[in-house]
Amino acid sequence: MSQIEFKEVTKKYEDVVALDKVTFQIDRGEFVFLIGPSGAGKSTLIKLLIREDVPTSGEVLFDNINVSLVEKKAIPELRRRIGVVFQDFKLLDSKTVFENVAIATEVVGCPDDVKCELVPNVLNMVGLLGKKDRFPYQLSGGEKQRVSIARALAHEPDVLIADEATGMIDPQSSSEIMEILERINLLGTTVLMATHNDAIVNKLKKRVVKMDKGAIKSDKRGATYDE
Amino acid sequence: MTNNAIKNFWANLKREKLLAVTNIIVITVSFLLLGVFLSIVFVSQSTLKYLENQAQVTAFFKDDFTEENILNVKEGLEQDERVLQIDYISKEAAFKLFTELNKDEPVLIESISADILPASLEIKTKDVDDLATLASELAAVDGVEDVKFFEDVVEKFKSVSTVAYIIGIALVVMFLIISYSVVLATLRTTITSKGTELEIQRLVGASDAYIKTPIILQALFYGVISGVLASVVLVSLGIVLSGSGLFGNGLLVPFLPNTAIPFSLFSAVISVLIIVSGIVLGYLGSATAVRKYLKY
Ligand SMILES: Nc1ncnc2c1ncn2[C@@H]1O[C@H](COP(=O)(O)OP(=O)(O)OP(=O)(O)O)[C@@H](O)[C@H]1O
Ligand SMILES: [Mg+2]
Repeated sequence: MSQIEFKEVTKKYEDVVALDKVTFQIDRGEFVFLIGPSGAGKSTLIKLLIREDVPTSGEVLFDNINVSLVEKKAIPELRRRIGVVFQDFKLLDSKTVFENVAIATEVVGCPDDVKCELVPNVLNMVGLLGKKDRFPYQLSGGEKQRVSIARALAHEPDVLIADEATGMIDPQSSSEIMEILERINLLGTTVLMATHNDAIVNKLKKRVVKMDKGAIKSDKRGATYDE
Repeated sequence: MTNNAIKNFWANLKREKLLAVTNIIVITVSFLLLGVFLSIVFVSQSTLKYLENQAQVTAFFKDDFTEENILNVKEGLEQDERVLQIDYISKEAAFKLFTELNKDEPVLIESISADILPASLEIKTKDVDDLATLASELAAVDGVEDVKFFEDVVEKFKSVSTVAYIIGIALVVMFLIISYSVVLATLRTTITSKGTELEIQRLVGASDAYIKTPIILQALFYGVISGVLASVVLVSLGIVLSGSGLFGNGLLVPFLPNTAIPFSLFSAVISVLIIVSGIVLGYLGSATAVRKYLKY
């Protein structure tokens, strides 16, 4: 049984077809790259998975649950099981690194003592414990992304999704981030990463799903960026 | 309700201290005016009821009209649908009443002999509107010398209190709407200034309740604080007013027969009413304000 399944999913925004009959499956514990040019529909696909939006037609399944049919009050539970590193990070400028990560623990009503243990833990995992009192404007792009990863990990999610921005990060930071993601994947978490970074894709030799104009063009294991 | 909700609510409030104070003042003033107009409506209705209860037609009879004849007229009137109560005041009773009323002025009493005052029937109607017709009918009855009733006073007060009633209710509704808008605008400001934060909270799995509760708390806080402040002012006003002996006998309750309540109880009821409206207003306002942000 697959953990994530898209069945003939189409998503239209007025006259733009962001996703066009997309069908694929991801098994528990897989590591998948999602590649394709800007506007291919990568972020849209992620939005449908966490029910930030609903498909125009087709089905999105997570653990055999039809995500678009989930009751409103079950959505938070779904989002806690899928950690997302957003393309624009979505960090609050007025909050410190620690506080930004703590948001994820607070929304589930974590008592302070649990929060004080969990947040440093995940910050340690992304190597940012030493910068926990900094504000986002005092961080590099790569560090911001790591804060966002730490926040996505705070719920100990079943799936971690990283939606990477184009040309945002230098090679040094991206290999650090890849190390973090691989480590998380080794611990059993499914990882789905949308990226434009061919160097990384080529190096890791994981499953690569290639999209263009809302459709899947190829889906291969151990592939490289241009294959 | 979690500790987090209370913490977030305090954080919102502290961040918008000045706004919070301004809002509490505006809502308090609205509630205060609400209370004042409610009181005016109630007191004028109560006074009207008192006057209506007092309103009667008095028919004075000629000296040569015998008591037996008068009692016949009384019996006839008792069959009348419109009549609520009839009292017969004999010449002796009238004199007794007169001496009673003027017991401090013996000279006046000396100057009047026991049979100079006429016998009379005092008639109250179920509906004050019937007084005028009854008066003219009585004037035509055999043996009636004179008919008196305080038509003007009752009628005038009635029109004044009707106007007070309509304007009062309109103002009450208006101030309710103003208070509601103020609560709503405040919450909108809070929500907008926290827009990104709320969005992120939702994306990382916050429940509706997690986002709603601090906002509802905030609205209830405004409602309750303003309601209590307005009530304190109103009750103090009430204490001063009743201290002046204005409502010594209490207030008659409109729409309820023969019920009078002490003024203090009246203030208490108004206070409770205002605090309850504060709570309802806060709840409705916050529910409306957050709805927009909880769409999926
Ligand atoms: N809310 C929206 N309203 C209208 N059009 C949208 C909306 N969101 C996405 N689109 C359109 O859908 C298409 C796919 O967008 P999407 O963000 O999924 O691309 P992407 O693959 O993530 O691109 P990038 O690599 O630049 O992040 C684009 O043409 C985009 O303009
Ligand atoms: Mg994107």
